[in-house]
Amino acid sequence: MRPATLVFRVAVAGGSMEPTFRDGDWLLVRRLSGPPRAGEVVVATDPREPARLLVKRVGSVAGHRVTVHGDHPDESTDSRQFGPIPDSAVIGRPFLRYAPLRRIGFVK
Amino acid sequence: MDLRSLLAPRLVAHAHCDIPCGIYDPTPAKIAADTVAKMVEKITGAGGTDEASRNTFIRSVAVKEEHAQICKKELLILWTDYFKPEHLEKYPKLHDTFWKAAKLCSKNKQSVDAKAAADLQAAVKEIADIFWATKK
Repeated sequence: MRPATLVFRVAVAGGSMEPTFRDGDWLLVRRLSGPPRAGEVVVATDPREPARLLVKRVGSVAGHRVTVHGDHPDESTDSRQFGPIPDSAVIGRPFLRYAPLRRIGFVK
Repeated sequence: MDLRSLLAPRLVAHAHCDIPCGIYDPTPAKIAADTVAKMVEKITGAGGTDEASRNTFIRSVAVKEEHAQICKKELLILWTDYFKPEHLEKYPKLHDTFWKAAKLCSKNKQSVDAKAAADLQAAVKEIADIFWATKK
């Protein structure tokens, strides 16, 4: 799953990124240019199922291997289970939460 | 086409706890509790002083000890990893139920007590019932 456009939209499903994102939030995502950096939120393909997208925060970057985790670790399946992912799996950076209206804001 | 469907993303980005939720299961705790009860039965009914009988007796005690510990471990995984605050809201007795069940595991290690074993089986069943109710 690799969107062709420079900016694409995703809907968040699940609570592992709370409080940053809630289930049902809509995000604008910029296609990644350059390597992912520790601490930023990214959209990546699921290493277990490449057609599926994940939204997670980058924990650490070591060479081409990136660990990702949820902001809400009790409710997250992430690198603790599936290990580091290749940096090539990281495809974008969400930069704006555009819905619901009361939650509009830039992504930190 | 309305504005909402025009703005709606066509892609989903998952922020799930999919794997752990998929593999949590109260069955190992149940098997361990049933094993404890079976071992209590075997220990209580054990006779004979020959080597083979003594060996069986000691093995039964060891298996009871081991499975009471397995039961406790499995319960703690469910308690601390699976159950969430929203479950506690719905089942306010949840913490108490787990605490008592874990204590029953210890009691079954300390003693050979058919009632304690049956109580543990009942406690595990109660937890399993809550677990499956949260899955509906």
